[in-house]
Amino acid sequence: MEEYPLKITVNGKKINAMVYPEQSLLKFLRSKGFTEVKCGCEKGDCGICTVLMNGQTIKSCITLAIQANGKEILTAKSLEETEIGRKLQESFVNHGAIQCGFCTTGMLMAAKGYLDKKPVPDKEEIKKAISGILCRCTGYKKIIEAIYDVAVENYRMEGNGHV
Amino acid sequence: MNQFKYISPKTKEEALRILNLEKSQTCLVAGCSNILPYIKDKILSDKLLVDISGIKTLKFIKENNENLYIGPLTTISELMDSVIIREKFSPLYQALEEFADPILRNTATIGGNLADASPAADTAPPLLVLKAELEIENQESKRIVELKDFFISPRKTILQNNEMITGIKIKNTSINKNGCFIKLGLRQAMAISLASIAMVLESKDEKLTDVRIAMGSLAPTPFRLFNVEDFLIGKRIDEIVIEEAMNKVGQSVSPISDVRASDEYRRYISGILFKRALNRLINQARG
Repeated sequence: MEEYPLKITVNGKKINAMVYPEQSLLKFLRSKGFTEVKCGCEKGDCGICTVLMNGQTIKSCITLAIQANGKEILTAKSLEETEIGRKLQESFVNHGAIQCGFCTTGMLMAAKGYLDKKPVPDKEEIKKAISGILCRCTGYKKIIEAIYDVAVENYRMEGNGHV
Repeated sequence: MNQFKYISPKTKEEALRILNLEKSQTCLVAGCSNILPYIKDKILSDKLLVDISGIKTLKFIKENNENLYIGPLTTISELMDSVIIREKFSPLYQALEEFADPILRNTATIGGNLADASPAADTAPPLLVLKAELEIENQESKRIVELKDFFISPRKTILQNNEMITGIKIKNTSINKNGCFIKLGLRQAMAISLASIAMVLESKDEKLTDVRIAMGSLAPTPFRLFNVEDFLIGKRIDEIVIEEAMNKVGQSVSPISDVRASDEYRRYISGILFKRALNRLINQARG
């Protein structure tokens, strides 16, 4: 069984490893201690494994670990490094957007990916942005509102005036 | 135990050379939307995974007066960013909007969606009504295949194991703008289509001069409904014509019962989807 060299940066940390071709990025990340990336359906349906790869949201359960070679991965633990990340965390807590917490890291990464595009705040667009992540607890309302509030504040701070 | 190997060619020529050398041992991968699930379900085992996702020359959207050319590795997100596709190829754009979810769209490729050949592939019905042609290459030669001749059965296409799709060509004609795509799913996103329809049409003096209809998830492959098209062309569209056309649609589909719906429901809903699409386009054409 053949292994292949993987050079990857996760939350700023450089990692060298050998991986099997059929190993998912999800399993690789969790094996390296990044257990904030959750394992749900492993089919690409539930989205709780969502991370950022070179700035784009991807579902890590269906991404081959080897495909992340040479790339930069950001998980929910990286949120505390940026102002918008910290705002998202706070907003989720303040809005009660977390119940069991299992979808939360996936939702946060989808939200981060959406907000990084500096969009005009729009609840319908937020719904679309998180449409690939399943939550069984909250009914989504508070998650959408938590993201919306950060989007509004961000938009205002970019000098766009009030929404 | 699984014995997978991996290689990531950086050029089309290198990829074709590998496919020609290893043939049935190979499995082309790009966005990998389904690869790991297939491995888990033991549909794929002991293959050389040929990862073509790094071949930048296969990722493009080019337009001239006559044609639109799309590279097979263009992702669904990249296609949605294209103003040309949004404004001029409406059934395709509408399908992209309903494709999986925004996260999967970042890595899923249009070539992969076609080559995987699910009967529910959402880019297929629009590309069928746009009369797309596929450029298919192996190491020695290139051939052009019309999309209507590409699908054989669920997950099986005319691609030989040393071939890959290298381009998708669509003629740039005005009918492409007057089109729509309607998808029925059990959810509003991240849903495998239960039934889908793509349609383009042109009318003059209240008569239909051209119409193309394709459906998905209602047969072993996505397909054009040529008999319904022939019935409609030249006719003035009224309630009686629509009713008769709906019956023909119902007779043209060959659905199965599965977790999403029964075959009876699918047969019934095929006529409804057809009517919705036709009415939408007729009203659009009226302006």
